[in-house]
Amino acid sequence: MLNPHSAQSVIDHGISLGADFAELFVEQSQSNMISTLSNQVQSVESGIDFGIGIRLVYGSKVLYGYTNKPEADELKRIMSELAAKDLREPGISSRSFDYRTIEDVHAAQRTLSIDSEVENKVAFLMAADAAARAAGNMISQTRGSCRQKEQSIELFNSEGLHTSDTRQYIRTGLTSIASDGSEQATGSWSDGGLLGWELQDDISAEKTGSEASRQALINLGAKPCPSGRMPVIIGNGFGGVIFHEACGHLLETTSVAKKASVFHDQMGLMIANPCVNAVDDGLLLKQWGSINIDDEGLDTQRTQLIKDGQLTSFLVDKIGAEQTGFAPTGSGRRESYKFAPASRMRNTFIEPGDAELDDMIGSIDRGIYASHMGGGSVQPGTGEFNFAVTEGYYIEDGKIQYPVKAATLISTGPAVLKEISMVGKDFSLACGMCGSVSGAVPTSVGQATLKVDDILVGGNA
Amino acid sequence: MSMENQAQQVIDLVKARGATGDLIIDQGESLSLKANEGELEEYKVSSSQILGLRVIKDGKVGTAYSEAVDKTALNSLVEQALTNASFTATEAHERIQLNNAHLMTDDAVLCPAEEVSIEDKVEFSLGMERDLVARPKVKNVPYNSVQDITGQRHIFSSAGLNARSKSRMCVAYAYALIEDGDKNAMEGAGQASRLFADLNVNDLVERAYSNSIDILDGCPVESGHYDVIFDEEMQPSLFQVFSMMFSGKAAKDGVNPMREKLGHTIADTRLNIIDQPLNSQGFGYSLFDAEGIATQATSLIVDGVLNSLIHNSATASFFDVATTGHASRSPKSTMGVGLHQLEISAGEATSTDLLAGKYLLLTDLTGLHSGANAISGDFSFGASGYLCQDGGRVQPVRGITVAGNFYEMLGKVSLIGKDQYWNWEKSARMPHVRFADIAISG
Repeated sequence: MLNPHSAQSVIDHGISLGADFAELFVEQSQSNMISTLSNQVQSVESGIDFGIGIRLVYGSKVLYGYTNKPEADELKRIMSELAAKDLREPGISSRSFDYRTIEDVHAAQRTLSIDSEVENKVAFLMAADAAARAAGNMISQTRGSCRQKEQSIELFNSEGLHTSDTRQYIRTGLTSIASDGSEQATGSWSDGGLLGWELQDDISAEKTGSEASRQALINLGAKPCPSGRMPVIIGNGFGGVIFHEACGHLLETTSVAKKASVFHDQMGLMIANPCVNAVDDGLLLKQWGSINIDDEGLDTQRTQLIKDGQLTSFLVDKIGAEQTGFAPTGSGRRESYKFAPASRMRNTFIEPGDAELDDMIGSIDRGIYASHMGGGSVQPGTGEFNFAVTEGYYIEDGKIQYPVKAATLISTGPAVLKEISMVGKDFSLACGMCGSVSGAVPTSVGQATLKVDDILVGGNA
Repeated sequence: MSMENQAQQVIDLVKARGATGDLIIDQGESLSLKANEGELEEYKVSSSQILGLRVIKDGKVGTAYSEAVDKTALNSLVEQALTNASFTATEAHERIQLNNAHLMTDDAVLCPAEEVSIEDKVEFSLGMERDLVARPKVKNVPYNSVQDITGQRHIFSSAGLNARSKSRMCVAYAYALIEDGDKNAMEGAGQASRLFADLNVNDLVERAYSNSIDILDGCPVESGHYDVIFDEEMQPSLFQVFSMMFSGKAAKDGVNPMREKLGHTIADTRLNIIDQPLNSQGFGYSLFDAEGIATQATSLIVDGVLNSLIHNSATASFFDVATTGHASRSPKSTMGVGLHQLEISAGEATSTDLLAGKYLLLTDLTGLHSGANAISGDFSFGASGYLCQDGGRVQPVRGITVAGNFYEMLGKVSLIGKDQYWNWEKSARMPHVRFADIAISG
């Protein structure tokens, strides 16, 4: 996307300004988004993102700029503006580029640049709508979407790195709205991954629609959720958002390096119940949070974060490595050229255990089974986090009693990790978008169904 | 090629294909600074431009955007938008407005000139962090930023509309992490202004520190139903989360739960809610919408009765009413509607009445994006704040949740204060409202 000779002159310019490190991140992305309302196509949106992120590092200070203009003179002008207050004699020389070919282990077939396949995607969404409406007359509306993105990146830096990669993202789903008089409730289902529209071969429009409506109808008839501290069983798949919020963000060097994480000085210590093993894995084939290389050009890897309850690794980007002394884990990620990279999660999950769901439910006198979860958030400095239950059931005397309306679960990371007492076998992953300092990046969360012995349930009963 | 020429080229291509359309060109420049341990940790500058095209052909609407502006990209932009339109259902109500006005906002008001050096901005950033770290028990200031952002929007249409708006926003915020033994807390404060000189580092540091240190010893209160007041930051956030209740677009799509409640009482009869785009003190100040239609104050709830939804020309046509000047579109999106500047009218309660007896003042809500369902109205958030008695703080409160149904809560208004406050981002202006019988879990 950028002429290497031109890129070399820009990188050389950055080093001539006295920077310790200079980098260009070139991005061109195309995207296509189909939205349906009921059985009609409401909109088709598409476009091209193009820009160049410029990073200079002086010691621990990061200077960052971006522009849509690829001309070398414009890039040098921005570099000079960035470095105006830090000018000094060059301390190093930039290395000549040595192009590194990246093997695309997630090679996609039905990509956006080949064909956006609008008709096929619309047919899928129409079939999902029909399946959703087959659930009954109470389904008053559906909204479907299919979003595909092809992100091409090219990296140049003063250490001689020149490499490029292309990532294919696809995500489709449906939301059903169930109505009964003035009462309304929603349910949703989505699938996605690091692949093209061949995703269609692995998913079912019938399941997408029927699952969305099943959840909407359950929620329509749900009672207010009891509140207070109690045991909670958290379902598999997107239930893994508990680990993402309770612990994952606190292990990113973005907060560790600033000592803004409660775990910043806990390496090697027991921070979780011994039944907890947790991983952040960028290698999983065609998974939503996988990458070939990170957004600093480093190979991705599988990173064991917690082993038998013991903290074994942080998530480390290039700057984080220099600030903390831990080796990079290929975790430098960013939403686009508009953001400097930061340490971020990829596919983050608690590994499966051997507990049975029935045993978990049977062990609870009064509690909640949160079979489906929504999103959440965390304050890394204190570890206080929250996440939302989108489908839940009240448990009493070891048995499921009735569905309950939306509730939020809150706790702190250090507390909840020690309260996970049982981990099941039914492991699965789910797609999400994670927002943080370097923007919104695709991440998977995952787990098998697990039991938390004590957590605050924010109900309305 | 100048921007006007680029726009004309795109509009000419649209017309040549027998279509109508409008083009948004957003341009922006920004500076962002972050400090850490007495040094500048991040220095970020940007300049960006994006074109967003909407075309209407044979009653079908398509959109496309591009950040590239060469001739090939502009041709592709038009082709993509027309191709996208061919797949959509016929939309009888969406048309390019017959509006050939030439509109321009007043730079002296929205984008005032100011001589301020980079050194001054850097010193503000470093000083903000330094002064906070110097306070007792402050471990560090992990989240802080000083920003100077200028944005400019042009709208051109095939009918001849040529509208330009430009605005500047200077922002500073800081979150202080406080530690005392095993206890910690992190809260913050922010400021926004059109002039950098109006940012006040001392005030910001003082508020960020007091917000953090005051909550440090917080603990849960007993679960139960409480009177609750959301502070001037959280109350606008709460109303924003449920702003779909005013959306004519969501009503047209059959998902707005208030779509059949026009003329019905949906809130306490003392509650009056207005969208007020013409108050220039706020950053939602806006003279025209994304279709170039003049904005106006719109009474949304009058004495508890739902008086109006917000409309663009398409949703207004669908409901056979006049547009309210709330068309909203980003270069990457289709035409929707959006509030400009929400205002709750002042009530009659004195602060003595408003703060009488026992109540919870909630100063922070977490999970606003995940713990709310605007279609059902159900919400459940993590919360912190203060248990208060007769206006005085009895104890700081943390580790609680607040839950309920927002649309039912509009009927649980106990008192409305006499004084209105802006939130720090100056996007909404509201008095404190005391809500009764709200479920708290501790």
